[in-house]
Amino acid sequence: MMQTTFKVHRFDPEQPEHARLATYVVELPESASIVDGLTYICDEQDPSLAFRANCERGSCGDCALRVNKKGVLGCTTKIVDVVGKDGIVTVEPIRHVPVLKDLVYDMETFLWRKVRAVTPWITPQAAGPNGASTVSEQKIAEVRTAMSCVMCGLCDEGCTVVAVDDQFVGPAALTKAYRAIFDPRDTRHVERLQSISEPDGVWDCTHCFEANGHCPIGIEPTDRIFEIRDEAIRLGIRSGKQNPKVRRHYDSFVNSVKKSGWLDEGRLAIESEGLFNVRGLLKLLPTAARAIVRNKAPIPYMHHKRPGAKAIRQIIEKAEGKRS
Amino acid sequence: MKYAFYPGCVSRGGCPELYPAAVKVAEKLDLELQELTDVGCTGAGVLSRDLSDPINARTFAKAERNGLSTLMTICSTCQGVMMQANHRLQSDTAYRVHINKTYLADEGLEYSGALEVKHLLWVLMEDYGADKLKAKLTRPLSGLKVAPFYGCYLRRPSDLMAPKGFAGRKTYLEDLISLVGAEVVDFGGKSKCCGFPILTANEDNSMRMVSDHTGEAKDKGAHCMVTPCPLCHLNLDGNQPNAEKKAKKPIGLPILHLPQLVGLALGFDEREMELQRHIVPPDAAIRNVKVNMLS
Repeated sequence: MMQTTFKVHRFDPEQPEHARLATYVVELPESASIVDGLTYICDEQDPSLAFRANCERGSCGDCALRVNKKGVLGCTTKIVDVVGKDGIVTVEPIRHVPVLKDLVYDMETFLWRKVRAVTPWITPQAAGPNGASTVSEQKIAEVRTAMSCVMCGLCDEGCTVVAVDDQFVGPAALTKAYRAIFDPRDTRHVERLQSISEPDGVWDCTHCFEANGHCPIGIEPTDRIFEIRDEAIRLGIRSGKQNPKVRRHYDSFVNSVKKSGWLDEGRLAIESEGLFNVRGLLKLLPTAARAIVRNKAPIPYMHHKRPGAKAIRQIIEKAEGKRS
Repeated sequence: MKYAFYPGCVSRGGCPELYPAAVKVAEKLDLELQELTDVGCTGAGVLSRDLSDPINARTFAKAERNGLSTLMTICSTCQGVMMQANHRLQSDTAYRVHINKTYLADEGLEYSGALEVKHLLWVLMEDYGADKLKAKLTRPLSGLKVAPFYGCYLRRPSDLMAPKGFAGRKTYLEDLISLVGAEVVDFGGKSKCCGFPILTANEDNSMRMVSDHTGEAKDKGAHCMVTPCPLCHLNLDGNQPNAEKKAKKPIGLPILHLPQLVGLALGFDEREMELQRHIVPPDAAIRNVKVNMLS
């Protein structure tokens, strides 16, 4: 048996100003999980504690929590593995979500709204003669990893963009989108890619790999996002209709590397705004002026070619040719 | 120690002070750099991997052809993109053979999959060594409070960037700041994204990240910040005035490139490290350094 001090976030929506960390001392076997600890507190010490838990085997994602400042699944996290040297375990709700009570948060505003936005169900062609939509094992293997997502939302909890903007669709919903985009039975492949290319979608991801580090079951959402982006580019979808700057940025980047072998940053800034977008170009001026004063502004279109530019151009053209 | 040197586009473009600072530091430390001049941009995470993987494979093959086994970068983004490409090429033989045959064979090149890609920070801490570096320092930066800013691609994905046996990579920047005699200012944003990758897609979010990170470091008492990534530098330094305006909060935190911090401790002066090129002037921060020349 092991004695641990739990410091648990308590929050009453009717008295939000009294939010606090309540202290409970629990004695449990070394095999006990965080959910075991919370259940013990609820059963033996304080039945008013609210938390969410369901399958208790890491399959439902219900018990996503922040334990000692790290997002975890409470049911698969053993107390002994996370307790500090001081014998304390701090349990809080995950970040960036409205808390309803204690450790229970609002999944609607956090996750479900975003998941619905990517239409996470497939639209298959008409069923075959036996009434089934069949798919080969080899084809479905590519999306099987994403299918394992338990929707715990910990990738969103760790997401660097969600932290500053709750409108960003987030890695959890994008993983759901991936699952549908790459399902060979789906008939809305291009439409889906176009939809998540609009503002707050896939191009708003910083590809910082935080989502991979926060996923408790190794789905690697950042890699899924990269695959969505690569597929969109293959099909010529480099932005949505409402964010053409993203497409211009990509095209300028490719053209710059094609021309000289390396990036012409001055050209990139101008072409991303759009050559005829006077307002956008004027917006660049203060930043450009500061750089010119400091003698560090790259001069656009005066980029010298690298010795290997021709070979690099051939590589890009070959890769682009293979895609079409 | 001899390295294939890949300076990256930004070290001679938007951050032209980085390249000379890195070269001067390398020379002082007797790191032998053979610069790869006929290679392409890594893609910086912008180009699709269909395009960037073959370009990076070509770079690796060029380094190997020059008889070198390690490629050194001075940009976290180049480091991350190259390391991920290298991982795909090393772990999937069929893929490497395909890339070699389809894209490199025309030039008579072939990548064997044996190259190691290392950022200058890792070279200093792993190959050169803290003791040897410390012995070369002539001006400990005592009095300077420095916030570390890793950026994304030197830390994540963690199983690739800091695999078993390299867990120390998670604190090299702090270790280096202490090693040069400065004081580490720890803050929550040190390994977060600077916002540069979404500057085009969502400028508001990008600027929010700049003001959050620089503001937090400043509030915790940092005189300056140091970063191993010139793209982070572009956003945190170059766009700091824009971020201040959006956040309606004055910040004024100078951002140093990693080689500049080391260079100052090696005895180079501010002009030699080209600190005058920064948008947020580091003069006041440097004045905090009590010059303490060793005999």
